Amino acid sequence: MRQLIVPGLSGAAAVVTMANAVLAADAARGQQVFAACAACHSEHAGGIGPPLKGVVGRKSAAVESYRYSGPMRRANLIWDESNLREFISDPQDKVPGNRMPFGGLHEQRDIDDVIAFLKTQN
Amino acid sequence: MATRLKDVDAVMVGMGWTGAILARELTKAGLNVVGLERGPDRTPGENFILPAIRDELRYVQRLELMQDNSVDTITFRNAASEMALPIRRFGAFLPGEGVGGSGIHWGALHWRFTPADFRIRSHISERYGTKAISEDMTIQDWPLSYAELEPYYDKFDKICGASGKAGNLKGKIVVGGNPFEGPRSDDYPNKPIKSAAPSLMFAEAAKSLGYHPFPAPVAIASAPYKNPEGIALGECQYCGYCNRIGCEANSKASANNTIMPMLRSEPKFSLRTRAFVTKLNYDKASKKATGVVYTDMRTGEEYEQPANLVVLTSYVFSNTQALLLAGIGEPYDRATGKGVVGKNYCYQFEAGAAAFFEDKEWNTYMGSAGVGMCIDDFNGENFDHSGLGFFGGGYFFCGQAAAPPIAGRNVPHGTPRWGSEWKRATVKWYPRFARFNTQGSVYANRENFMDLDPTYKDVFGRPLIRMTYNGTENDHKMSRYLLGKLEEIIKAMNPTHYEMYPRPRNFTIVPYQSTHNTGGTMMGADPKTSVVNRYLQAWDADNLFIMGASVFPQQHGYNPTGTLCALAYWSANAITEKYLKNPGPLVHA
Repeated sequence: MRQLIVPGLSGAAAVVTMANAVLAADAARGQQVFAACAACHSEHAGGIGPPLKGVVGRKSAAVESYRYSGPMRRANLIWDESNLREFISDPQDKVPGNRMPFGGLHEQRDIDDVIAFLKTQN
Repeated sequence: MATRLKDVDAVMVGMGWTGAILARELTKAGLNVVGLERGPDRTPGENFILPAIRDELRYVQRLELMQDNSVDTITFRNAASEMALPIRRFGAFLPGEGVGGSGIHWGALHWRFTPADFRIRSHISERYGTKAISEDMTIQDWPLSYAELEPYYDKFDKICGASGKAGNLKGKIVVGGNPFEGPRSDDYPNKPIKSAAPSLMFAEAAKSLGYHPFPAPVAIASAPYKNPEGIALGECQYCGYCNRIGCEANSKASANNTIMPMLRSEPKFSLRTRAFVTKLNYDKASKKATGVVYTDMRTGEEYEQPANLVVLTSYVFSNTQALLLAGIGEPYDRATGKGVVGKNYCYQFEAGAAAFFEDKEWNTYMGSAGVGMCIDDFNGENFDHSGLGFFGGGYFFCGQAAAPPIAGRNVPHGTPRWGSEWKRATVKWYPRFARFNTQGSVYANRENFMDLDPTYKDVFGRPLIRMTYNGTENDHKMSRYLLGKLEEIIKAMNPTHYEMYPRPRNFTIVPYQSTHNTGGTMMGADPKTSVVNRYLQAWDADNLFIMGASVFPQQHGYNPTGTLCALAYWSANAITEKYLKNPGPLVHA
């Protein structure tokens, strides 16, 4: 359960409560959220982060041409939905010492949608 | 004996901003292009990444991204009566090396010159009389107008994902932007980068005095952005590791993250790093550049690369040196004032200030080189110089470039330089200071120039470039005037303590001031007073084009990169649209 606050209704905030499951993950919206990731995770060679094409279901540190950090090389994860969700919400908590300088996404909907988008990138 | 390589359509000498721009535009036009770079390759993925990048000692103090003085340097003297000595370690300015060049470590302040700047000699003569410009001030009009260059300024804005606020959109003044700028065809692609608290205080104080503050324009994306090349840039994280360092957030624009990713996958482009160009081959009879000679710095082997089109895309010093060694254009002679190569050398005339506020506390560890507020009320011809005794000016800037752990210890003058008193002062003032700068113009003077040093040589045995430069009376007067105006604004901010830092009488090669060296191969309308024409094509070799700030006739009160990159796009357009269809001089003298 989470709360969505819609401000500005007659000077008081209306509070809408809904279950996560109600919202179907939206890959198109996820692509927009992914704009924040795309600067480093691009399909071009020599980017700051590894390309994420086919990342869902892949083994961690699997892109041979990319120089991963030691912690990421040792993480030995499968990037299934649950691992991805934890990583995207707090990258340094999930794999401490990895080199991604990003604080993470904090809205559950953003995370779901980004994963939905990544699933389309195979 | 140099190994002769296969002919190519075009060769770039240096793969910084202008090398990347030209290589990209020429390959798009179907040419096979070789990019020669004397330094190593640098990619964001290999070189601008955590944790290595946040290393002030390695990059800011030990200058890892800069030109290696043990291979090549320049010599310096203040006046023609002195003997020049080689600079063994760069200080006042820091030419870069490697793919991306100085465009990696820049502060990304992203400016345009004003319409009046482009016709400065005519403008001053019209406004203050034909005798207003003294004989020793060798300023010249640019051979093109602001309006002609505007589409290319706009193009570079979009390549960089520049952030700022327009002050003049198609002739309409926009409140909150710079009202003195030339008309823009479009706003910045990104909204202004966030300003820090001291900068906002500065803006308020400036406004209270009747000036027109606006956010500094920067080639740093303030939001996720995709450029016209299809390359994504990230949002600035305000991490503070910006000046002298590559950007870990892929937000500060460099050739490496805005153009090179496309070039690297372009089959018509070939990049050769550690390829040190030592000679520009020139056939005087046919007035053609025939190619270049370079040494592979890994093996010591020498190669000749013949090319139909040679583009000098290296730094100011190397561009000028290449022409002098090849015998292209008449070398400047200070005694007679004749000749053009090496003439009108200029060095940005900056001066600053610091202020300390006991009752404030700011996150001065954060920021970015361009985070801050400016006023442009005292730049160029934006104000009346009648009776002032000087020409020129500069913009004022109060920024928060982030105070790094080693160099960012601003303490009031008089504080001991070490020991417990210094430590107490550091702790007290670190979060309570603000820095200011005036980006002064330099109006060229006949005494300031570059030529070949008669004594000192580089590792290849080539004479070094000799810089003869000192601040002129005009520039000192200009700078003192700007500092006086800045001081009034600082006083209005009501600091506990402040200090003004005027320029010393004689220019010195330490400490760091700016990497804004200009001139030496200047552009102009007349071959007697310029080296390249309005399309940056050499008057003495129609297949030789010269890029970069070396073509500036003088330096105006803004950072040079915006203009030199716009000029590169302008020149590339002339090459692909005019020159390739009908090779030969694009301007007939």
